[in-house]
Amino acid sequence: MSNSHIFLKPGFINVPLQNGIGRYVGQLQRVVLKFCKNNGSSRGMREFIESDLVNFAKNNPGIVVYLKPRRHRTAVIKAEYLNGDTQWLSCRNFSKDEIYKWLELLRKQQKNHEGSRIRKLWHTENPSIQGPWTPFTFRDPKLNLATFPDEELGKSENVASTSQDELVEMFKRQKLLELEAASASN
Amino acid sequence: MTMYKQSFSLFGRCISQYNNYFRIADSRNIKRWVSPTLKELYKRREKVGPEPERPRSSYLEWNYEAELYAFGQRLGEELDRDLLKQALVQREYANLQEIQSHEKGSSLQTIIHNHEQIQDGEQIISNYLKKEFDKVYPEDIANSVIKYLTTEEMLSHIGSHIGLKDIILTNEFPVSKKTISDTFKAVVSALKQSQDLQRAENFVKDFVLSQLNGKDVIDIWNPKEPYEYLTKLLKERGITSVEPRLCNQSASNTILGCFQVGLYTDKKLVGIGWGENIKIAKETAALDALQKLCKLNKVIKS
Repeated sequence: MSNSHIFLKPGFINVPLQNGIGRYVGQLQRVVLKFCKNNGSSRGMREFIESDLVNFAKNNPGIVVYLKPRRHRTAVIKAEYLNGDTQWLSCRNFSKDEIYKWLELLRKQQKNHEGSRIRKLWHTENPSIQGPWTPFTFRDPKLNLATFPDEELGKSENVASTSQDELVEMFKRQKLLELEAASASN
Repeated sequence: MTMYKQSFSLFGRCISQYNNYFRIADSRNIKRWVSPTLKELYKRREKVGPEPERPRSSYLEWNYEAELYAFGQRLGEELDRDLLKQALVQREYANLQEIQSHEKGSSLQTIIHNHEQIQDGEQIISNYLKKEFDKVYPEDIANSVIKYLTTEEMLSHIGSHIGLKDIILTNEFPVSKKTISDTFKAVVSALKQSQDLQRAENFVKDFVLSQLNGKDVIDIWNPKEPYEYLTKLLKERGITSVEPRLCNQSASNTILGCFQVGLYTDKKLVGIGWGENIKIAKETAALDALQKLCKLNKVIKS
């Protein structure tokens, strides 16, 4: 995550209305293309309207397309989604292809993702299949028949050797060395 | 820039004479009215407050016929235009329109509303869900799941997410949840009338039944006394002896105590559960047994 994303609203991937479980419903419900009829900044939008818009509307009968000419103002796309989101996109000096690209993005989106970041690329409602851990979850089966107190089971593991044991060891090693030295001199 | 510097060094004095003139010409280009005007506009905007929310249908860019066409196409259904229109008209709206046309003195024109369609749609939805859930769940569980799926909350959630909110014809704004859920039912009925029952049932399956995805039935249907319910259920199936046994316990008499209880019928484990005391552990075990007996965790295949 970069610094510019710190103040974005964090969220998880989710789909509105379990979309696609039953049937897929395109989530873009209407789009308004606002443009000027003679200003240069709307040129790409005008070209798009002349050449591609009819095909776009034909291919996506579920989206209502409105055109709104306004004098001397920037070209704008306003998209409205089924979940109530609206997305406003400035298209100043956009070319025909750029507008087509953005419209495709809006069409495929589930909602307005602006101002939010995804915390992870995956999400699950059921993080554990096994269920919560209990003290009995991974218990050794041989404990089922054991009777306590049990010498074997009650034995402590990894007991460090005492200093007395160390001394005895050192003494034995010393004796051995002495024996070896004696045998070598003989 | 370099040219300018050279020329400055050459004709330094001559130009310094005109320097003042140039500066004045520059300063005249600063538009000193912009900032105060914008400030004033901002202040007025603040004073007036945010614009009130308006229904989408009151916007300039609004074509009701196009919206209706797109609604059907979006859902992949062929809806009869008149039936769909009728399904979207609320009774209060129709009455008000009638009164207003009376007052204007125009010819008497009755607007048909969706009152009967609502009841019909409600029947279709509950019948279909009952048919589906009776195949897999006992009656109590089926009823509570159906109740969960047909609440006003759930149906209005579905209705607003298929785009009903903006095209409903009603007097109220914002549109209430009850209106949206009623209209959803009416749309189901309109679908049945314009195509057939099968198609309407498929619609209910895709939009209402699919809302159970990712949800646990045991969360929706939550029996208050699961152990008693289990014994009753087993008695109906001819099993009378249920034997709860304490399988494990750890840290008893402490705050971290944990007990594990297993339920046995005829020396067979039917359910196992745990909890911070024996009573809770027994109930958890009963819930586990119920989940296994009623196949609550199984995927419904259709």
